[in-house]
Amino acid sequence: MAVLRVNPNRMELLKLKRRRDVAVRGHKLLKDKFDELLKEFLARIADSRRLRREVEARLARAYGLLAVARAEAGRTDITQALLAGEPAPLISTSERNVMSVKVPEIEAGEVPQPGGYSLGTMPAVLDEALEALAETLPLMIELAAREKAIELLAAEIERTRRRVNALEHVLIPSIVETIKSVQMKLDEAERGNLTRLMKVKEMLEQQRAEEQGSAG
Amino acid sequence: MADKIAFIGDSTSVAGFRPLGVAVFPVSDSAQMRAAWDEVARGGFGIVFVTEPVYAELADEIAATADRPVPAVTVVPGAGSVGGVGEAKLARAIERAVGTSALIREEEA
Repeated sequence: MAVLRVNPNRMELLKLKRRRDVAVRGHKLLKDKFDELLKEFLARIADSRRLRREVEARLARAYGLLAVARAEAGRTDITQALLAGEPAPLISTSERNVMSVKVPEIEAGEVPQPGGYSLGTMPAVLDEALEALAETLPLMIELAAREKAIELLAAEIERTRRRVNALEHVLIPSIVETIKSVQMKLDEAERGNLTRLMKVKEMLEQQRAEEQGSAG
Repeated sequence: MADKIAFIGDSTSVAGFRPLGVAVFPVSDSAQMRAAWDEVARGGFGIVFVTEPVYAELADEIAATADRPVPAVTVVPGAGSVGGVGEAKLARAIERAVGTSALIREEEA
C-alpha cells in the first residue's frame, strides 16, 4: 500500500491519526447506508417482477382482442374509431426520499372511458379490448413507477459501493501504513538521540576521570 | 408538471391507448422513433412507455434519463413482440447494484 508523503514529525502523526478516525467513521456510515439501500432494493425486486409478468400477460390478451376486432371490422375502420381521445393528465408525480435517493411517486388518476366511436358499426370485441387495456393501464403506471425506483436505487447502490470500497481498500490502509512508518521514523530518531546522549555521557565521564588522574 | 403518459411504438401497439388519454406516437422507422423521442424528451411526460423495438433503437437516449426521477421509461411488449426485454432491463439494474443477478433469481424461484 502506498505510503503518503508526509514529514515524519509528531504534528503530522496527530493529523494522520485524526484523518484515520474520520475515514473509519465515514466508512462505517457509508457501509450502513449501503446495507440499508440493498435491503430496500431487494424488497422491491420480487414485487416488481410479479407485476411485470402480470402486465405483460394482460397486454398480450388485450392485443389479441384488438386483433380480433381488427379482423372483424377492418383495419381502417378500427384505426378511425381509435382516433378519438386527447392526451389527458393521467398521473400526478411527486418525489419521495428513500435513503437520500429521490424516488418518484406516481399517482394514477382516472382513466377516461373509451368511446367516441359508433357502437353500431364497431364489433363488441373492440369494447372488450379497450376495457382490457383500460384495466391494464393503472398496472402499467404502477410498474413504471416501481421500475424507475429500482433503477434509481441501483445507481445509488453502485455509487455507494464504490465509495465504501475506496475507503476500505485504498484510503484507510494507506493512512494506517503511513502512521506506522511515521511512528517508526520517530522511534528511530528517539533511539538515535538516546544513544547519542549515552555516548556523550560516557565521553564526559572519561574526560573527568582523566582530569582527576592528572591532577592527583 | 409531468402528468402525462406517452407511448412510443408501432401503430398497432399504440392505437388502443389513444382513447384512454395516453399521448401516442406511432412510429415505423428509426427516424420517426428519434423524432418522437425528441418530442417526448421536451417534457411534460411523467411516464414514457416504449415497445421493445423502440427500446432497442433508443437504448442510449433512454439510458441517459436513468438517473433522473422523471420521465420513467418503461419497456412493454408491443403487439406481436416476444417480451423479455423489460425483464432483461430489470436484471441489468440488479446486476449494477448487487454485482450479480444470479443470486436474486434463485431467491425468487
